[in-house]
Amino acid sequence: MLPLRRSDMLEVLKRSSRGLLAAAAMAAVTLTAGPIQAQDPVAIPRLASGKPDFSGIWQTLSEADYDLEPHSGRRDAPPGPGVVEGGAIPYLPGALEQRSRNFETRAEDDPRLKCWVLGVPRGVYYPAPFQIFQRDNDVTLVHQFGNQVRTIATNGSDHPEEKQQEFWLGDSRGHWEGDTLVVDVADFNPETWLDRAGNYHSEELHVVERWRFVDPDTIAYSATLDDPKVYSKPWTIDVLLHRRRDANFQLIEDYCFTLQYEQYYPHHKDGQ
Amino acid sequence: MARRILTAALLLTVGALPQIALAQQTPAPAPQPTAPGIRWSKEVIPIASGEWTGPRLADGQPDVQGFWSNTISNHSNFTDPQAGPPGEPSGTAKLPRDQRAPSRVSDPADGEIPYRPEARALQADFAHNFPNPTEPQYIEPLARCAPAGVPKSFMWHGYELRQYPGYVVLLFDSGNRIIRLEDGAPLSDKIKLWNGDSRGHWEGNTLVVSVRNNNGKALFGRYGDFMSENGTVEERYIFDADGKRFNYVATFTDPTVYTRPWTATIPARRYTDADEPDGWHFDVQPVNIAGGTPRYEHHERICVENNGPFGGGAVGVPFEGSVIAR
Repeated sequence: MLPLRRSDMLEVLKRSSRGLLAAAAMAAVTLTAGPIQAQDPVAIPRLASGKPDFSGIWQTLSEADYDLEPHSGRRDAPPGPGVVEGGAIPYLPGALEQRSRNFETRAEDDPRLKCWVLGVPRGVYYPAPFQIFQRDNDVTLVHQFGNQVRTIATNGSDHPEEKQQEFWLGDSRGHWEGDTLVVDVADFNPETWLDRAGNYHSEELHVVERWRFVDPDTIAYSATLDDPKVYSKPWTIDVLLHRRRDANFQLIEDYCFTLQYEQYYPHHKDGQ
Repeated sequence: MARRILTAALLLTVGALPQIALAQQTPAPAPQPTAPGIRWSKEVIPIASGEWTGPRLADGQPDVQGFWSNTISNHSNFTDPQAGPPGEPSGTAKLPRDQRAPSRVSDPADGEIPYRPEARALQADFAHNFPNPTEPQYIEPLARCAPAGVPKSFMWHGYELRQYPGYVVLLFDSGNRIIRLEDGAPLSDKIKLWNGDSRGHWEGNTLVVSVRNNNGKALFGRYGDFMSENGTVEERYIFDADGKRFNYVATFTDPTVYTRPWTATIPARRYTDADEPDGWHFDVQPVNIAGGTPRYEHHERICVENNGPFGGGAVGVPFEGSVIAR
C-alpha cells in the first residue's frame, strides 16, 4: 500500500508540462493538495509478491510520436510541448544533419509506414494501445500495432553473452528499485526511428527505462537514451501512460503489414 | 546488409527443413516422438478429457506454461502431413499411407475436409498453382510473414504459452493470440482478424476456446485448405496428466465452405531446459543468468522487417514506400 505522494505528482507535472502549462498545473496541485493528503493512501495494483502489477492496457495521450521535441502544429502533426527534458535532443553536429534529412523525407522513410516494429522506446508512446502481462519473472508487452511483442526479463538475468545481435526491440533486462521497474535495454539495430519527425539513433543506442505508478490508472514512464555515435550526452523523455478504461475495450490485432495483399486470400478468382 | 542476408537465408532454410527431415527418413522409421532435434512422429496418441491432476497456478489454472511444438509435421500438407507440399513429394510419399502420420482431419473418418464442391475447386486450384505461382493469390500468406492463423500456427515453428489471471497468451513465430478467460462483450462481426478473437475457459485438463471474427485468410497450409470469414472454430487443448503433451482438437464450422462441421487433431509436445535447442521446435537461446536457471529463452520474433524482397525470404513484401496512410 503506497500513498499517492504529493511530491510524485509535482514531479510528474513538472516533467510533463512547460511554461504557462506548468504554472497552471502547479496551481492546480496547490489547490488540490489538501484533499489528496487527507484521503486514505491510494492503493496501486500489486502482484502476490508485493511488486507493482502493471497488467492492463495502456496508451499515451501525448504527442510524443509526432515529434519528441517542442513543435508547432504542421500539416502532418498536431502541436506538442515536447517530452524531452531540457527541450532539445543533444545531437552531435553530423547527426543533427541526418535528423534534418530524415525530417525532409519522413513521409516516405518513417519505418512505421511499413508497419514495422517501432522499437524501444517508440512503441511505448506510439498512439496505440499495448497490453502488459506480468509474472514474477518477466513483463510482456504486446503492442496492438504490427507484430511487436517485448519481454522484459525480471528474473535476474543479464543481456546475452553474445553481443552485436542487433535486435529490433533491443534486449530488455529489468529490476526493481522500490516500486519502480528499471529496465536496461541494449543491443539494438539502427533501423528504427524515435518518432515521425525523423529523430533517430544508431546501433550504439542504450536505453534505461523507468516505469512507476502515479495512481492505479496512470504510469509515469521515462526513458534515458544514450548513443555516443549520435548524441553528445544522454537525454531523457517523460510521458504518462493511461489505462484504457473504455467499456469492453480490448486489443484488436493490427498486422497492418499484411494490408497490401490481404485481398488475395483466402482464395481469389478473377472477377470476384 | 549482411544481417538481412543471414535472416532471409534462415527463413528459407527453416522453411525447407521439414522436407529435408522427411526425405532423410528410412522407409519404415521407428517412431521418434521425443528425440531432440527436428524429428517427426508417425503417431498421434489420444489424450482423454478429464480432471487435471498436475500443478496449478495461483489463480487455479492448470500450469501448462512453457515451450511447445507440433510432433508430426509442419504445414506443408494438412491431410497427409508427412507427404510433402504440392510438387515436392517427400521421400515417404510413395509408401503405403499407414506408414506416415495420419491426416490431421480426425472427423470425418476418411481424413478429408468435407468441402462444398466450389470450395474444393478453389483449394485444388491453389494446390495446383502453388509450386509455380503465376498470380499473387498463389503465394501462401505465411511466405509474406502474415500471421499463420488458426490452426496453422500450431504447425509452424515451436511457440510459447504464457498464463496470467484471466488470460492464456500464445506467442507464435508469426503473430500471437490473447485468449480471454473471462466473459465480455463479443467483438462486432464486422471485425475480421488473422488470428480471430478467442474466448476460453478451463474444463479440467482441457482449455476450451471459441474463435470468432476469423478473416479466413491465413490458409491451413501449402495445399490451400481454408475456411472463409464465416468460419468459426471450437478448440479443445487437451493436456495429458504429466504436462508433457497436449492434443489440439478443433472443430471447424463454415456452411459456406464445408458440407458439415469437421474436426482437426494436431498433437504437440512440451520442450524444457532438458531439451537441446534445434532451431525449429525449440528455437531458443542461452540465458545469461547466475545459477543457470532457466537455461533457455526465446528472443524477439521478427519477420517482415528482416525479409523484404532482398534475398527473397518474404515474397512480394515492399521494402520501400508506405503500406499504411495513418
